Amino acid sequence: MAVLGIPILEDLYPSTMDMWPLEAKEFNRVWPFYENLKQGRLTTTKCKDCGFVAYPPRVICPECYSENLEYIDLPKTGKVIIFTEEVKGVPLGFQSPLIHAVIDLGVDPARRLLTKIINCPAGSLNRGDEVQLAIFDVPALPIDKGKLGTIMSERVFFAFEPVKK
Amino acid sequence: MARNAVILAGGQCKWGVREAHLVDLFQEAAKACLDDVPTLKPKDIDGLIVATSYAGRCSFQVNTAPVVAERCGLKPTSICTRCDTLCAGGSTGIILAMGLVMSGAADIVMVAGGEKLYTPQKWEIFYSELASVDHDWDGVHGMGLPPPFFSLTAQEHMMHYGSKKEDLAAVSVANYNYAATNPFAQMQKTLTIEEAMSAPIVVPPLTLYDCCPITDGAAACIITTDEIARQYSDRPLVYLRGTAQVCLNSVSANFPGVHLADWKHTRIAAEKAYKRAKVSASDIKVAQTHDCFTISEVIEVEELGFCKKGEGGDFCSSKQIEIGGKVPVNTDGGLLAVGHPFGATGIRQGTEIMKQLQGRARHQVKDADIGLTHNLSGANAEHTILVYGRDPVK
Repeated sequence: MAVLGIPILEDLYPSTMDMWPLEAKEFNRVWPFYENLKQGRLTTTKCKDCGFVAYPPRVICPECYSENLEYIDLPKTGKVIIFTEEVKGVPLGFQSPLIHAVIDLGVDPARRLLTKIINCPAGSLNRGDEVQLAIFDVPALPIDKGKLGTIMSERVFFAFEPVKK
Repeated sequence: MARNAVILAGGQCKWGVREAHLVDLFQEAAKACLDDVPTLKPKDIDGLIVATSYAGRCSFQVNTAPVVAERCGLKPTSICTRCDTLCAGGSTGIILAMGLVMSGAADIVMVAGGEKLYTPQKWEIFYSELASVDHDWDGVHGMGLPPPFFSLTAQEHMMHYGSKKEDLAAVSVANYNYAATNPFAQMQKTLTIEEAMSAPIVVPPLTLYDCCPITDGAAACIITTDEIARQYSDRPLVYLRGTAQVCLNSVSANFPGVHLADWKHTRIAAEKAYKRAKVSASDIKVAQTHDCFTISEVIEVEELGFCKKGEGGDFCSSKQIEIGGKVPVNTDGGLLAVGHPFGATGIRQGTEIMKQLQGRARHQVKDADIGLTHNLSGANAEHTILVYGRDPVK
């Protein structure tokens, strides 16, 4: 489909306008985070030398600069500390109601994780509510592989949703 | 002999929704800056620092410094570069220029900041704002546009310290009223508490006048040494006494305070800037703080030490931020009413403090001898403070 005003961009993918991360191995060394998400796991990196757990995941330990890291699981449920709800004027790419929350997963460094809350009708969320990890598909990343053509690299992302009472 | 840095001149173009290209705005600002000290000519300027963040996304232009230099008729021979710290870009440029002129690496540096944010289709700037925060970890959740983040901040301030919506309204009323006579401001109108309290909701508890607008605009100032400045102007000299820029996190999950209304990084920046400037909070006679939202100004007057932690709401609603109050704040109208073209803001703030300390501000604070500017940037991820004074640090 043509891009309004820029006909040369027909069927081309501009990564500079992509709201989702470039999750593929070809473009990201924390790709295991996204692969783990596909398996239903929320993970981050822990340093095998000094034990420091960082969020978001890294390729070096920010404490001791070791590259000897492993992915560990973070809890999949947490509690809402505080939240906002946008019903009108939600920006392009997001659905109404757009709910943002600071949630506590109960372990460092995820005591105050900022996330989107989905699958939640406007006006129904309360401070202190339990929420759980929710993983959803986002558009695949088209990667130009030269003679092999364009491959579509599947992507997922995460938010949290209310735990059904 | 040690070289002391001063701010010699400053000016801005009309801010708002501008029918202009980014480079047009930079030219208008450069002219306004040199018009402030007419003896200074473009050929005298040997350094240029450009502060812009959205040139790459909204004007399809990176490496902006040579473009701005050429359009403004500058031919720098000491430094010609760009800095990007979003909302603090202009202040960052002033800090860098200060270091350059103090060291002797440059003599007369123009710091010029600007943004053209209104794109032909409005969705683009809102969408591009996802790049203003840590894109892959906060922006991706829709946190780019700042009202939700500052709504969370306001809620936590109300929860922990009991501030009220009326306190926020008092900030917008003060800053709008300062800007009502400022011909360069985006919002040139007075505001009443009643109007502020009954304004349309943006993200509760924030309503229309709690939020700064999106702004096209540019500003420029000149940083040089006191000895050079004396060759161009008889006005009182305004020295850069001390600065600090503190960054403890980027992703909001790593916010350094115990909650979003506890700005530990601001306190660290203030302590460091005051120490370098050899002043204390009680010496500050006038301040330009980063009122991107009313709640920001409430928290800033606390963390900068103008009142006790938790008492920012009372400080603002008891008119301590107005002329005649303890520390008049954002006396030209601030981000809320003058507007906020990111890279230009710190330069506008520095220019207002220069005018205050020279006794020629529109809303003059009597006997102002020490002033301060403050910026936060990103998802409240960095704090930048500059202390200006009528005398150099001894």
